[in-house]
Amino acid sequence: MANRTLPRLLQTPAVVLLLFWMLVPLSMTLFFSFIRYVLNSLRRPEWTTPSLSNWRGFGNYEYVLFDAKDFWFAVQNSVFIVGSILVLTVLLGLALAMLVNRTFPGRGIVRVLLISPFFVMPAVNAVLWINMILDPVLGLNGIAVGGLNNLIDGLRDFPILGSFFSMWPEFEPISFRATQTSAYAVIIMVTWQWTPFAVLIFMTSLQSEDEQQKEAAILDGANAWSRFRNLTVPHLARPIAIVVMIQSIFHLSLYAEIEIVSRGNGNKNLPYLIGEFTSNNIGAASATGIFAVILANIIALFLLRIVGKSLMD
Amino acid sequence: MATIDQTSNFGKVFWPVLAWTVGLIFFFPIFWLVFTSFKTDADAVKPELLFRFTPTLENYTNMTENYDYWRFAINSVITSTFATALALIVGVPAAYAMAFDPSRHTKDILLWMLSTKMLPAAAVLYPMTFLTKNFLNVFDTHFLVIIVLCLINLPIVIWMLFTYFKEIPKEIIEAGKMDGVSTWGEIKDILIPLAWGGVASTALLCFIFCWNEAYWTVRLTTTEAATLSKLIEGNRAPEGLFFGRLSAVSTAAIGPIVVLGWFCQKQLVRGLTFGAVK
Repeated sequence: MANRTLPRLLQTPAVVLLLFWMLVPLSMTLFFSFIRYVLNSLRRPEWTTPSLSNWRGFGNYEYVLFDAKDFWFAVQNSVFIVGSILVLTVLLGLALAMLVNRTFPGRGIVRVLLISPFFVMPAVNAVLWINMILDPVLGLNGIAVGGLNNLIDGLRDFPILGSFFSMWPEFEPISFRATQTSAYAVIIMVTWQWTPFAVLIFMTSLQSEDEQQKEAAILDGANAWSRFRNLTVPHLARPIAIVVMIQSIFHLSLYAEIEIVSRGNGNKNLPYLIGEFTSNNIGAASATGIFAVILANIIALFLLRIVGKSLMD
Repeated sequence: MATIDQTSNFGKVFWPVLAWTVGLIFFFPIFWLVFTSFKTDADAVKPELLFRFTPTLENYTNMTENYDYWRFAINSVITSTFATALALIVGVPAAYAMAFDPSRHTKDILLWMLSTKMLPAAAVLYPMTFLTKNFLNVFDTHFLVIIVLCLINLPIVIWMLFTYFKEIPKEIIEAGKMDGVSTWGEIKDILIPLAWGGVASTALLCFIFCWNEAYWTVRLTTTEAATLSKLIEGNRAPEGLFFGRLSAVSTAAIGPIVVLGWFCQKQLVRGLTFGAVK
């Protein structure tokens, strides 16, 4: 039995640290979610200290679900943002991984160019996109639309075709600072940052694909599409599932981008809503936090099952 | 005989050109950031100038007085370095024990560790602020940022080290045991030299994640321990008056990390998919 003690001892610091990190703040959140707890209240000063006597039962949860007008909007928006990013990154990632998987001159450099966005810190990503690229006046968005208008203007002078283009309107650059459009801005910048991640994983997986099987299929006369459908897609099923789940977990807690792009314009997701509640209503913030934990755990369960399975091979 | 390489002459030119185009498009925003950093603030808000401007280094030479860049950069270096070191000090023995002396709980412990990584940070925002501000009195200190960065990356560090250690044949470690080498000696003289590449890339990746972290470093600091994430977020410049200087400071904030990232692309897959994609 003595030889069991040492390995346990070696793991203890890591386990204890993570246990504290997980349990202490989370149980506080759970406790706060069941009491009335606000930071400032002149009318009910007793609510400003967390105590059992302010027990509210499921009151905070009811408040968040039915009275706080932003909760469902934030859930819907979280799902919209995460879902759009997932669809875009998986499709782009698959296409680009196939593209870069063949050998061609300068492939190493192209890979480096493609992977770079992933290492940009989120705050810089947001500042760069919303100001220098998407801004309708000061960013590239403006010149791109201006260029398009000039092009159409030029086409108007052509005989016959010109009258067709005269019917076209002058385009206005879209502003990405409104509630809905700033959600698009967030989707664009996160897709830019995370497509490289999908590419990298799909590429790793493509390289382990069985080449002999593929060659056999070619000799059997299978065309490119049926090879892709019957060999490559099944092979990529697991990496796709993993990309989807890992990204879901990361993007459900998206914060810096929303904070920078949408501060105060009404676009929000769950973490942002929690941040807003935290400025005063801790009870509501905690109840929302518990909902976020449940949402993340549903996805995490599936992910952990896949990871656990691959641990055995 | 049927030819295996079915690429036509058209395809031989088309696909590489497309790949290059896509690569350049993806890199373009970074290029544009670096490019803008060489313009004066007045030129930077006129994107239509394109190449018709006089490049200047003033945004870089004024970085210290404009933004106090070095204070934030040094904080980032200190917190990321110590957090990575701490994660390795805690993580190497744990991964060693799990890889070479697994019990029937090892798999569950590993999965549980990963699950801590999946908790949404925002859910524990207030408790963390409350504890560190009112209770432990460590709010806005390097100590706190180091501990938090270490803890959020510890699961990934242990997991990555575990997958590297597992590739080392058990017999080598057991041979060491027979020769009466102590556990510490085994780790130091046998394991680390053998898994050196794995340990190094784990450290590199952990450092990158620490450097880019943008939730706790922003929320748990004000001035003393504020990192580059906090600096950039505090200067988002909605009115666009300072694009030039903002680009310079952003370039300086991401430059070293993007370059480091180029060296650990391969390890990234292992680090982020927990060995589930090979």
